[in-house]
Amino acid sequence: MNWSQVGPYTADNALLGLLPPLIGLVIALPLGVVCARFRWFYAPVLSLTTLIYAIPSLALFVVLIDYTGLSNETVIIPLALFSLCVLVPNVVDGLRAVPQPVRQAATAMGFGPMRRLVRVELPLAVPVIIAGLRIAVVSSISLASVGQLIGVSSLGYFIVDGFQRDFSEEIYVGIVLIIVLALVCDLLLVGTRRLATPWSRR
Amino acid sequence: MITFDRVTKRYPDGTVAVDALSLEIPAGQTMVLVGPSGCGKTTSLRMINRLIEPTEGTILVDGQDVLKAHPAILRRGIGYVIQQTGLFPHRTIEDNIATVPLLNKWSKAKARARSRELMALVGLDENMAKRYPHQLSGGQQQRVGVARALAADPPVLLMDEPFSAVDPIVRASLQDELIRLQGELHKTIVMVTHDVEEAIKVGDLVAVFRPGGHLAQVDSPERLLGAPVDDYVTDFVGFDRGIRRLSFFGAEGLDLDSEAILGESATVADARTLGLPWVLVIDAERRPRGWAAAAELASLPADSRLADAPLAPIGHTFRPGHDSLRSALDATVLSRTERAVGVAPDGTVLGVTTYERLRTAIRAAEEKADAEAAADGPAGAVQ
Amino acid sequence: MSFISFAWGWLKAPAQWHGPDDIPARILQQLGYSGLSLLIAALIALPLGIWIGHTGRGGVVVVNVANAWRAIPTLGLLVLMVTLIGFGVGAWLIPLVVLAVPPILVNAYEGVAGVDPDLKDAAKGMGMTDVQVIRKVELPVALPLIMLGLRTGAIFVVATATIAAYIGNGGLGLYILSGLSQSNYAEVAGGAVLVVLLALVVQVIFTVLRFLVVPAPLRIQARSDG
Repeated sequence: MNWSQVGPYTADNALLGLLPPLIGLVIALPLGVVCARFRWFYAPVLSLTTLIYAIPSLALFVVLIDYTGLSNETVIIPLALFSLCVLVPNVVDGLRAVPQPVRQAATAMGFGPMRRLVRVELPLAVPVIIAGLRIAVVSSISLASVGQLIGVSSLGYFIVDGFQRDFSEEIYVGIVLIIVLALVCDLLLVGTRRLATPWSRR
Repeated sequence: MITFDRVTKRYPDGTVAVDALSLEIPAGQTMVLVGPSGCGKTTSLRMINRLIEPTEGTILVDGQDVLKAHPAILRRGIGYVIQQTGLFPHRTIEDNIATVPLLNKWSKAKARARSRELMALVGLDENMAKRYPHQLSGGQQQRVGVARALAADPPVLLMDEPFSAVDPIVRASLQDELIRLQGELHKTIVMVTHDVEEAIKVGDLVAVFRPGGHLAQVDSPERLLGAPVDDYVTDFVGFDRGIRRLSFFGAEGLDLDSEAILGESATVADARTLGLPWVLVIDAERRPRGWAAAAELASLPADSRLADAPLAPIGHTFRPGHDSLRSALDATVLSRTERAVGVAPDGTVLGVTTYERLRTAIRAAEEKADAEAAADGPAGAVQ
Repeated sequence: MSFISFAWGWLKAPAQWHGPDDIPARILQQLGYSGLSLLIAALIALPLGIWIGHTGRGGVVVVNVANAWRAIPTLGLLVLMVTLIGFGVGAWLIPLVVLAVPPILVNAYEGVAGVDPDLKDAAKGMGMTDVQVIRKVELPVALPLIMLGLRTGAIFVVATATIAAYIGNGGLGLYILSGLSQSNYAEVAGGAVLVVLLALVVQVIFTVLRFLVVPAPLRIQARSDG
């Protein structure tokens, strides 16, 4: 068991696990805002994201090989797509959960629609959005290991190498590290949520 | 001043919420819109700050057509208070109150200072400034809502059933606060409520709506109680209106009796000579001690002092300079002796009233009010 | 696009459609693994989720554990099973079931727990036993979410079954993995197309099922993430 490899592979996995949700969020926010506003738009978007989410990650990775080769992008793009599928409903639900009286009061006080969105609705939607982000991050960190099957390195290396060499200790290490990385990121997000919402009840 | 000129609100499915409403709301007064559910009162209110747009007709706020103004700018000049408060959960109390000033680009320091001013105005303790809405009680949240609406000192304040969500005791104190505030600020207030008692208590003018978005009557509360234009308004106003109307007549018009009053050092014989069924006994500072009954006095030695005689309790008193005829009547009804004692603010006795005297005063007050109404012209009824 | 042409070329070839190990056989294998696992997962997760939702106890634990569950790497679990119990049914069945349980469990719990307490109150007041309340009131109302959980479980099961090819199982994933090891890109592409199609068909089936089973007034917008 080559412990010096843990650091680099963990870093690789972290990149593959954290970048996609970020990309997904950047796309999901405006998309979600539009979907929350226009219900007729949300229905087809939701159907589409549900279908995309159903596609096994391995298949998507493989489809992209033709376009992005065997690089990180091949894993990042599908994972970002999955994150998007998770985050769009969260953004929509979060915005819809803003109480009607609060929205009405904001309008009545003279907030234009854009200002109301940025100053009132999105801040109040943060808890729900972060909940979705947690799911996206944990899933991405875990799914990134599947990328090892097409040679994109992550903590999955230990699993695959351990299997090939019939070295169970290495397999355990791989699994545990992935889980720990995911849970640490999850906790960080929980902490972020607490910091970002000093106003919510505990 | 706010003017509705033949305003109609018709929805695409055909329902008419407000039908050709014409109404003038004078500046600096509280106008309460009251009526059953679906009568158009809330719709009318929300057309003033353009949350709803009229289908026909014009609404003018201080001479400006609301449809011609920029909506956001218009709304920053109109305070708006709603039943569920709509306080921003993610902002502290002081930042909630400072919302419109900050929108108007005040400096943060200036806006927060204004928040504190308003918190004092609505009776909120300063140490609540950094708390969040969910940490406050319902009544406190409503006060914040009012403070927030007043922050930018708008000339107009709209209130949509602001006190309906709190319990009756808190509600009564909030209503009193509003009356007190209005006494200081003299804003043009338009309030919607379904509670006619609240309308009568708080309003300078009351507009009673019929179902379907029509006005039935617009009048002062006293006129509404005294002269409802038809059965609908009479029913709506509720029974007991004769007695409730008496709240609007001051008790200073009462001709108080000062004969049946004797000092406690007077004798039983003095009381007997008066020949009255009850005599009010007062002490050296002219404060009331009790009632002496003639029947009881008959069996006492003639030269004993009234101070030592058995006395019936005073019961309720009233303050002629301050209270209404309704209070005086109530005090009389509650007194065992069928007489109520009128006292000055310092507690000294001014005189005594009986049912007879009340009758005379009530008659005079009603005649005076009716004559004034007639002189003003037939204002109340609306087609 | 060369991916499509690769895939199409491979799929058209008659070799794929004849013989004991052809495409239809592989599809059946994958469906078999998936179906069995989903069934077992449902048999475990549904009663558990419904009961926890009904009693209202342990709900928070369920949700948090289910969230943490997503951290478990599928590949790791499959490989671990092989090292522990060798190749065989258990090596793929256990991971597939284990990974499908959380979405079914959480959705069943949330569906039942989310039933209006007034409804439950009225039912109890009418004299219904616990079981009757579950059967007549909670289950019908929770049905949309339960179906959603099953659909999500199906997603996880199909995805894991695809990867299970790594530990030697058949199924469509094997086309992808053997193609990769032999640098036979046509097989990889063809396999991927089949996997995508199968996944989509399964989703459509579950969506139609949901549509049929859930009475119209209760149908709600779907969530894709379970």
